[in-house]
Amino acid sequence: MRRIVVAKVGEIPAGGRKIIVPFRGRAGIGIFNVGGRFYALRNICPHKRGPLCTGEVAGRGTTTAPPSLTGGFVGYEREGEILRCPWHAWQFDIATGQCLVDPDTRVKTYAIIVDGDDLIVDVDVSDFVAEG
Amino acid sequence: MAQTIDRLEQIHIGKKGSAPIAAPGWTAKSADRVKLVDCDVHHNYRQPEDLLPYMSKFYQEHFLDQGMHLPGVGYANAPYRRTRTDLKAPELKEREFNMSLEFTQKELLDRWNIDIALLTGPPSIYTYAGLPDPDWAAALVSAFNDYTIEHWLEKDPRVVNAILLAPNEPALAVKEIHRLAHRKDTVAVMMPMLTPHLFGKRVYHPIWEACAEHDLPVVAHIGGHSPGATPTPAGFPSYYTESRMTRPSLASAQAASLIAEGVFELFPTLKFAMIEVQQMWAAPLMWHMDADWKAIGDQTPWLKRLPSEYFREHIRIGTQPMHEPPQTEQVYQMLEMLHADETMVFCTDFPHWDWNDPVTVLPKLDEHRRRRIFADNALDMLRISDDMIDAVLA
Repeated sequence: MRRIVVAKVGEIPAGGRKIIVPFRGRAGIGIFNVGGRFYALRNICPHKRGPLCTGEVAGRGTTTAPPSLTGGFVGYEREGEILRCPWHAWQFDIATGQCLVDPDTRVKTYAIIVDGDDLIVDVDVSDFVAEG
Repeated sequence: MAQTIDRLEQIHIGKKGSAPIAAPGWTAKSADRVKLVDCDVHHNYRQPEDLLPYMSKFYQEHFLDQGMHLPGVGYANAPYRRTRTDLKAPELKEREFNMSLEFTQKELLDRWNIDIALLTGPPSIYTYAGLPDPDWAAALVSAFNDYTIEHWLEKDPRVVNAILLAPNEPALAVKEIHRLAHRKDTVAVMMPMLTPHLFGKRVYHPIWEACAEHDLPVVAHIGGHSPGATPTPAGFPSYYTESRMTRPSLASAQAASLIAEGVFELFPTLKFAMIEVQQMWAAPLMWHMDADWKAIGDQTPWLKRLPSEYFREHIRIGTQPMHEPPQTEQVYQMLEMLHADETMVFCTDFPHWDWNDPVTVLPKLDEHRRRRIFADNALDMLRISDDMIDAVLA
């Protein structure tokens, strides 16, 4: 295994991201800074193979009940923690890769190591060869 | 010892744009035949003022004084301004999109090897169908058609047009057909799906007659919702997802009207495509109309054949948005029910948020269906000449 510095810590501010292609396959990976913690996801959506990591980082609507004459509260939660695929808008938890609209679906995640000012992903040589 | 990444391409959101995934090989172009025809590619002007040069002085004044005064779309709650968020151009503001030919060439035609792309215009202005002033509606679509000619059609042979028609005053729609029918790149006409009257009504027959005269099919795309045109007989649904669920009933009503009113007996060469209205509805429509025809066909004695035969010969269904049932094989059962090798035409709906790419939409088609759905059904429907095909294959 080799350790590859994929970015400097200061390069990706909170709420920001960096996409690297081709890396870990042709589609590459996206590295996200969510509130100071770094996460890496495969840049390919398991739904329809869209470029997932180019999607919008957002939160999601939440509610306690459907709208009704007696009230019904609509809020917004997890702002900055959710990635929406730019094709078809399926939502993913950036921290875990779990798809929030289909329990059977998740996107591959990669461990990020913070070493001083370096963000590092462990790789092997085959990661540099475009797949398919 | 960590090695710094330096020889890999790095892409920074907001600086160099997004990193789309390249089209897999099977959509590779062929020199022998057209393999991929996309019957729903949305194009637009960059800004409404771009239409001004194509309007008479009278309507320029109109526009500058009052704007386009399109009726508000009931379903402005379409997400992400309808558009794939990876297509945001970096130099533009959040959720603004670059609707130019160059952009469509790069992101659709070249990337996915689309041989022929049918332009269907911007659904956001289909509400011209609800404009009370029929002359302004006609002036607006004429200006849009002329803009399309100069900025799209004359620059790339792969791009062909479904000329926009305003249904508000059929006589003016007929005039527009005659004005542009001589152009080779006019290969169809475009009507919003939600019209003040059902398509089979006699008020529209002059439009269908002009289409038949010029061998142009009608492409009816979902849209046209405006305050005067409720998408259901019980009024307006609240949410965008509900509005999408009204589409099959509307398409079904329009198809039934065309068949029952005898439009295809009157115009035996006319073809009619139903775009972005789902697909499954067409199976029960054919079955139920056939059953009724056997039982109560006396009420419509001008129908000489089973309604399903008119459907299969004359009506085409767009593939987008394709159903995604939990058991994927059910999609292929549906294609069987719909006689998809006769009736279905491939559509991406580019650049919209819910587009279908050509690779993942129907991955398990046999070769016959693939050819019919992705190219041949469209080539049979659209008025595309052999030299146009030669031009795109060259």
